[in-house]
Amino acid sequence: MSHSSPTRYTRRRFLRSAQAMLALPFLPSLSRGTVHGAEGTPPLRNAFIYFPNGVWERGWKPEQTGADYQLSPSLEPLEAIRSKVLVLSGLDKKHSHGGDGHYAKTANFLTGMPVAKTTGKDISSGGISVDQLIAQHLAGQTPLPSLELGTEPVISGVDSNVGYTRLYGSHISWQTPSRPVAKEINPRVVYERLFGRKVTDDQRRAESYRNLLDFVLDDAAAVRQRLGRDDQFKLDEYLDSVRAVEMQIEYATRQDPREWEPNVAPEVVAAHEPGVPGDFREHIDIMLNLMVLAFQTDSTRVCSLMFANDVSGRNFSFLEGVNNSHHELSHHENNEAKIQQYQLINRWHTEVFARFLERLDQVQEGEGTLLDHSLVMFGSSISDGNRHDPDNLPILLGGGGGGTVASGRHLAWDQQTPLCNLYLALLRRNGVDVERFGDSEEELAIG
Amino acid sequence: MCRYPIARPRACGLLLLATFVCGVFSSGSRAQDPDALRQWGQRYEREILPLVQSHCLECHQGDDPSGEFDLSGFLTADSIVAKPLIWEQVGKRIRLNEMPPEGSRQFSDPEKGRVYAWLDARPQEDECRNLATDETQAWYKGFVMSRRLTKTEYLNAMRDLVGMEVDSRFEIPSDGAGGVGFDTNGSTLFTSPIHIEQYLAAADDLLQRAFDDPDTRRALLPSFEPSMEVTDQSRAALARFGLRAWRRPLGDGELDRLMRLYEFAQSQTPSDAGSTPRDESTEPMETSWPTNALNGLRYAMTGILISPNFLFVVEAEAPEGGVQRLSDYELATRLALFLWSSVPDEELLAAAAEGRLATEAGVLDETRRMLADPRARALGENFGLQWLGLSHFLTSAKPDVEVFPEFDQALAQDLREEVVRTIAGVFQENRPLLELIDSSTIVANGRLARYYGVDAEPDADWQRWDVTSLPRGGVITAGAVLMHTSYPRRTSPVLRGRWLLEEVLGARVPPPPPGVPPLEESVTEQVVSLRVRLELHRRNPECAACHNRMDPLGFGLENFDALGRWRDNDHGVAIDAQGTLPGGQTFQGPDELKQVVLSRSEDFQRHFSRKMLGFALGRELTKFDDCVVDDCLEALAEGEHRSRAVVETIVTSFAFQHRYFKAAEAP
Repeated sequence: MSHSSPTRYTRRRFLRSAQAMLALPFLPSLSRGTVHGAEGTPPLRNAFIYFPNGVWERGWKPEQTGADYQLSPSLEPLEAIRSKVLVLSGLDKKHSHGGDGHYAKTANFLTGMPVAKTTGKDISSGGISVDQLIAQHLAGQTPLPSLELGTEPVISGVDSNVGYTRLYGSHISWQTPSRPVAKEINPRVVYERLFGRKVTDDQRRAESYRNLLDFVLDDAAAVRQRLGRDDQFKLDEYLDSVRAVEMQIEYATRQDPREWEPNVAPEVVAAHEPGVPGDFREHIDIMLNLMVLAFQTDSTRVCSLMFANDVSGRNFSFLEGVNNSHHELSHHENNEAKIQQYQLINRWHTEVFARFLERLDQVQEGEGTLLDHSLVMFGSSISDGNRHDPDNLPILLGGGGGGTVASGRHLAWDQQTPLCNLYLALLRRNGVDVERFGDSEEELAIG
Repeated sequence: MCRYPIARPRACGLLLLATFVCGVFSSGSRAQDPDALRQWGQRYEREILPLVQSHCLECHQGDDPSGEFDLSGFLTADSIVAKPLIWEQVGKRIRLNEMPPEGSRQFSDPEKGRVYAWLDARPQEDECRNLATDETQAWYKGFVMSRRLTKTEYLNAMRDLVGMEVDSRFEIPSDGAGGVGFDTNGSTLFTSPIHIEQYLAAADDLLQRAFDDPDTRRALLPSFEPSMEVTDQSRAALARFGLRAWRRPLGDGELDRLMRLYEFAQSQTPSDAGSTPRDESTEPMETSWPTNALNGLRYAMTGILISPNFLFVVEAEAPEGGVQRLSDYELATRLALFLWSSVPDEELLAAAAEGRLATEAGVLDETRRMLADPRARALGENFGLQWLGLSHFLTSAKPDVEVFPEFDQALAQDLREEVVRTIAGVFQENRPLLELIDSSTIVANGRLARYYGVDAEPDADWQRWDVTSLPRGGVITAGAVLMHTSYPRRTSPVLRGRWLLEEVLGARVPPPPPGVPPLEESVTEQVVSLRVRLELHRRNPECAACHNRMDPLGFGLENFDALGRWRDNDHGVAIDAQGTLPGGQTFQGPDELKQVVLSRSEDFQRHFSRKMLGFALGRELTKFDDCVVDDCLEALAEGEHRSRAVVETIVTSFAFQHRYFKAAEAP
């Protein structure tokens, strides 16, 4: 295993030694100040993984609760890693009971608040999403505050029948209630954001970029003044984004604030330089690998990933026994043959998730593994795809949260327990000291 | 029997109704004279209400009204007067015999006559030149037009400004859509840090390559005069590039700041080999810019290309707000974004500078010139693909390779290109708009022409082919559309019918109710044709109301398989391409289907004009905008339905040339 290899590097040694392969986000590696010796405690990493179109509940929810539960057919792939997973059932998103079947359920997957019914004007996901709130709290501690990943471009068009813009189905990360965060779907770009482009002469490039950004900030301030009130907030998005990039450069050029140092061999990073994914399965795999790598190198501690956009019509006939597309099969009409195929798709999602957890678990970190220091939420924004119910959501939580989660159990709550109770629990584990989040009532007891 | 088998949460129906009402409102036409309106309402109470009560209310009321349309709020004259435009939609459904649905009590002929006469008597009034008045400003609350460029616009603009394409490794995030369904809608365009990262990296890389390439560089910069001051010439070069990129002359202060960037770059030791032009030795000394100056220019031009002045459509305003005509430069930008999905060229900017865009004739001259330009391809590639729902066709079309081994990416690209050229061509060549529905020609390359059964050389270039003897021509029978509206392994008359109703005719088809009842198992276990299955489905009146509208249209296209190829049978069963519409009208196959659609060509023209107007304005439409749509229809009728009538009506409309500004906030 790489962690015990003699060629192991600390992050800073790696940065100094790798001249062509640069290891800072988007920009270049820059020389660092003195190297700290002490390794502190590994930090908490957070992933929020969404899959579309719900599940066949009877094939998903285990019958027993507690530690001795039997894995349901859709959850069987968790067998090898079950001791590090919590199966959560009975969680509900009450603000999604109204609205349409999909858009009003997905945009607020991580906010828990009501989604504004609109084809664009006054768009709102009801609140900031839990991943972004954590990212804001941790800002400045890692090269990138967060990553937002996906596999499909934003759904185009509006659904004029239900009166929603379809972009609601393409975003789970919201920086503010009215501002979704663009997600990256090209693995190549993700890799470059994480580990830099192959440029030389870094300090100078950083200086020159910083100078350009200062220039446009002045421009933006001037433009903003000339705009009407309703348009100014659009310029604010631009201003905030420029500042965010400035902060990345700033991070790259100053003393590393961290006491803890990740250990990653440069070959490991280089080995993950992605090509163009051949198909969907490969695409997802590469994205998940990049997430592992991002966490492993402590490039960021927060990441969201959409397996696919909501209402995804992806053809799943690459699975033995499936011969139709995802959304179509999720509308199974209680037809046995369709339900069977729907379950195969559910099971495949669990399989991919389990593999991801296993990979996190292979990375040794301090006393435990990367998975032990992670909180990986996995789920969908509806339960039964045929009925679009936003209650009894299929939710899994992988990882030990740095010893704060008692895993290996199935915990079933009464119906109408807010999903946001879970988010509150995750927030507090990250040191975000809030009274409540979304429609939370109390912290979900997962410890 | 009107209840859905599984009750939905109560809030749902009410919310949906609210939008239905708003939506209908914006598709109606005019505001009315209050007295005439009141009388019209009283006539409703006398003549129409009894019919509504006997034929409609059973389903259209309560917590869960059919089609999310609740009529129980329309039982008095006052309620009719409050929301007169709803009846336009209701009337349409009744006239098409779609309502009351099959299996319910029908109107007698005299009853229908009474309804029609009342509908036709709705008082109308013209409000065309009122973009917004003090009373109507509420409509414009929150409208954003100062938006950033869309991904498409950005990439086109970079190409047109610099003369080279942005490298595809800089992936700009894709945009969602809003308003009437386009990414140009200001309120659904957001800016995230990845945008800035990519803009910065892409501009840096593009200009680097452009400066390294002698021809591109020569086009980008004025020629160098050794006798003149380098700094002055650099300033002039930046002013010229800045004018194109920012679509307006730059102020002295702005140029001063750009020159500071220029000087900053010069002060840096040139150690980056890539920034030094490679052709120094081959170029005569007297025409070449000093390396130092080139470094400065490249750097300052990078600044120009990541500035909000480039990335945003800035429509500045006087502090007092209100309705104002756009400046000529702002109008030039709107024209270029609408017709080219890019920035204005030098000629259009010259027209703005010389005041030629101040007159209708001047705007039309430029519009005609721009439509004839190759860049008008964007009307097909950007507007057209978004209109038809095909923007992501290359990645979303996924026929199952097991069933369709013939499918490959080359075919998908050909099919997409056909749609792009078909729609752009209608405008570039000013062909009749109805050619989008039915045409005796198609645009294809040799490979695609043969795919459709035209006798062509396989390597023939893109051109127009005669298809009089083939069931092709227009967008409905374009392979991309037929594939887009199929499942991976089979066709779907339902999806196709719904697509045709929504995207071509602008009708609304509510989504299926949650918990669609399963077909009885005894039936599903038998192997029956799709048609038989769907007919069983339609026996249920709550399904019939919508499926009777969609399915017959889709059946008319059953001769096309999921790859859009012609077929006479499906797995040995002969194709039955007959459709019977709710009114009893029957037709056979795609040609007759197109005639059915043409018989509703006013619906199509109205829908298309709305789409194009919404795309051009980049916002939702309001009832005032319907005046422009009406004008489009009128212009089409007067101009032999030549397509440019729509474009010309839009670019000369009050709404396109004006903007409502809210007063700026006090600093």
